[in-house]
Amino acid sequence: MNVRYIGIFLVLFCLSLQSLGAAELIEGYSRAEALRLGERMYRTGVLPSGEPIKALVMGDIPFDGRMFTCDDCHQRSGLGSKEGTVITWPTNGKELFAPRHRTGAYKPPPAGDKKVSGRGELPEYWQMKEVRPAYTDKSLARVLRVGVDPAGRQLDPIMPKFRLNQSDMRILIFYLKNLSVTLSPGVDATTLQFATVITDDVAEVDKTAMLSVLQAHIDAHNSQSRQESKRAASGPFYKSERHQAYRKLKLHVWVLHGPEETWRDQLEGYYKQQPVFALLGGITGGSWEKMHTFSEEHKIPCIFPITDLPVLSDTDWYTLYFSKGLYQEGESVAKYIRAGNKDVNNLPIVQIFQPDNKRSSALAQGFEQAWKKMGNPAVKNIMIQGDASLSDKQWTDLLAGPDPVVVLVWLDGSHQDVFANLPQHGDRVKMMFASATLLKNDYSVIPDSLKNSFLLSYPYTLQDKNNTTRLSVERWLKVRNIPDSNFTIQAKMYFLGWMLPGSIKNMRSEFFRDYFLEGYDMMIDQDYAIAVYPRLTFGPGQRYASKGCYIARLTEGAAAHLVPVSDWVTH
Amino acid sequence: MKNINLLLKIVVWMIACLFLFVQGVAAAEGKPYKRTLETYVVPDVTLLNQDGQEVQLKNYFDTDKPIILDFIYCTCTTICPVLSVSFGYFQKKLGKDLDKVRLVSISIDPDNDTPELMKEHLQKYGAQPGWDAFTGKRGDIVQVLKAFDTYVANKMNHYPLTLLRGPGQKEWVRIYGMLSASDLIAEYEHLQ
Repeated sequence: MNVRYIGIFLVLFCLSLQSLGAAELIEGYSRAEALRLGERMYRTGVLPSGEPIKALVMGDIPFDGRMFTCDDCHQRSGLGSKEGTVITWPTNGKELFAPRHRTGAYKPPPAGDKKVSGRGELPEYWQMKEVRPAYTDKSLARVLRVGVDPAGRQLDPIMPKFRLNQSDMRILIFYLKNLSVTLSPGVDATTLQFATVITDDVAEVDKTAMLSVLQAHIDAHNSQSRQESKRAASGPFYKSERHQAYRKLKLHVWVLHGPEETWRDQLEGYYKQQPVFALLGGITGGSWEKMHTFSEEHKIPCIFPITDLPVLSDTDWYTLYFSKGLYQEGESVAKYIRAGNKDVNNLPIVQIFQPDNKRSSALAQGFEQAWKKMGNPAVKNIMIQGDASLSDKQWTDLLAGPDPVVVLVWLDGSHQDVFANLPQHGDRVKMMFASATLLKNDYSVIPDSLKNSFLLSYPYTLQDKNNTTRLSVERWLKVRNIPDSNFTIQAKMYFLGWMLPGSIKNMRSEFFRDYFLEGYDMMIDQDYAIAVYPRLTFGPGQRYASKGCYIARLTEGAAAHLVPVSDWVTH
Repeated sequence: MKNINLLLKIVVWMIACLFLFVQGVAAAEGKPYKRTLETYVVPDVTLLNQDGQEVQLKNYFDTDKPIILDFIYCTCTTICPVLSVSFGYFQKKLGKDLDKVRLVSISIDPDNDTPELMKEHLQKYGAQPGWDAFTGKRGDIVQVLKAFDTYVANKMNHYPLTLLRGPGQKEWVRIYGMLSASDLIAEYEHLQ
């Protein structure tokens, strides 16, 4: 009996020893911690000790990790980049630890698979030799320290030479080995899964406007007008990678119901049921915060959701917005005052807004933060709670002091009384601003006597309605029998769909979410296919594509419309 | 006789070609970058410096100090960080001569690069007084880029360029390619 227990004990003891051995430690750190430290080195240039990495670039220029880091050039995905005259090769595990051939487009199948490939290959004497053999831990450490690759080639001096001790080097190499190795969720051999998120506060007509255009683009892609599947099966070998990269697109519609607090759980439920590669478009009447956080935490790209209340962050990565929304309008008013109105710059500025209204607050916040950054004196804030009106005391506060004031009325059309009272104080008010978006482009609330003096922030193009881009979008909608229901929404989704094939093709077969986003980062600035903005600009890490806003004035007469009094304000 | 003359001519041409070839190779081997002398007309535009102050570019360049100019953008991932590291280190090497030269970085992404971002960029690379960063209206920036023959429609296609002009000189030294610290210092000393 006792012998049997001792035997069981010994077996269990051996098994636990084995499992302890299996918990691999990298320089004394668990795998997860080593990956975190490696990622920190790669992305922020900080060593496990907390010190910045030291390196030498161009042969004799010392710098440290606070100035630039690995992912600046090699990108977050590790799949490299091309900018100007500099080509940066991939540094992700599966590329580094395999031989590199001269062209990335043609990779001969492994020897054992030759019979599987139905297509011919180049005769052996025409095949390119390896440009470099696969890296080993040792040769990777060498190239990072002295810039010589396993083929003996000296790399361009723009590739820094890093001063890393043995332990830090091992952690970085461990991270690179695990970087972009397994394809992201939401893709298989035939299909790329996308979702679009709609909250139930959005009017039916706007939902349809967004969905119909997006779905039309997806359908166009899936119609395989270039016979992609056929070409993948029988195309010439040197194009095989390109054709095999083709995937059908599937768009799932995730409708969020009820209060905002429940949205996250609903998103998690949808995602559990169908993991998606990325979120496309989407629309909400309120803030995008819940969806933004969901994307950030799951590392799911979200491309061009329609919202006036995006999350504002310099560091968040996964959501690409059209603009900073209402915040950007407030910011642009500050820039407009700085740029063109020296006589106004020193006057007191008063903002009237509703702190309990996210839209009104976003405008006030945008103005105040930009104004402060410019080194200007503090702004006076007059806050209105709910639907209340301005009290006499608030009016007195507003106009106190010897100088005339600049008034920013960040209120919507329901505050008719505030707008109606402004003319009484006309002599004390030097300039007045409001937001066209907050007023929903309905200016009837502005008293007639002030119609010409009110300046309005307007975040879209103010071109002639017959401009060619607009006409081409309208024509595109017409051909697809999509009624022109909300042109601003439809034009935005048209642009998203117009860019989508390029960003998918850019990935080739490297279906990594970070790489997908990097495709947008590297996009050329656009003014061709976007009908509602003068231009959209892109760049690594830039997450708000429209950077400006017009300041406009209403014309006189019954058919009053906006005319710009400024260029597209960006500074 | 005619044949000898012809032979002589061929030999002379061959020697000339060989000479030119050797010269070319020597020039390419001597420098890892392309160096030319150019004349530019500075456009009459107003830009914004890193403090948000307006700067008349013509007036700014009308100085008896040497000028070293490059074109960058704040979110650039490859070329610009190295150009900026180089400027920062060059300033360090100048030591007490820091105020004897004007370093200028002009944004090629004016929509994104606000004066505030340009200031952050300078701080990131340890800029000291004497290194300014300009941005401005898109139209003005395009004028500047065209005037210095460095305009590209897509900013991702920009290339490493450093322009240097000595005190009282009209010609600019145009350097296409990345410079090491010693190359930049040598080019600067050459201006004096």
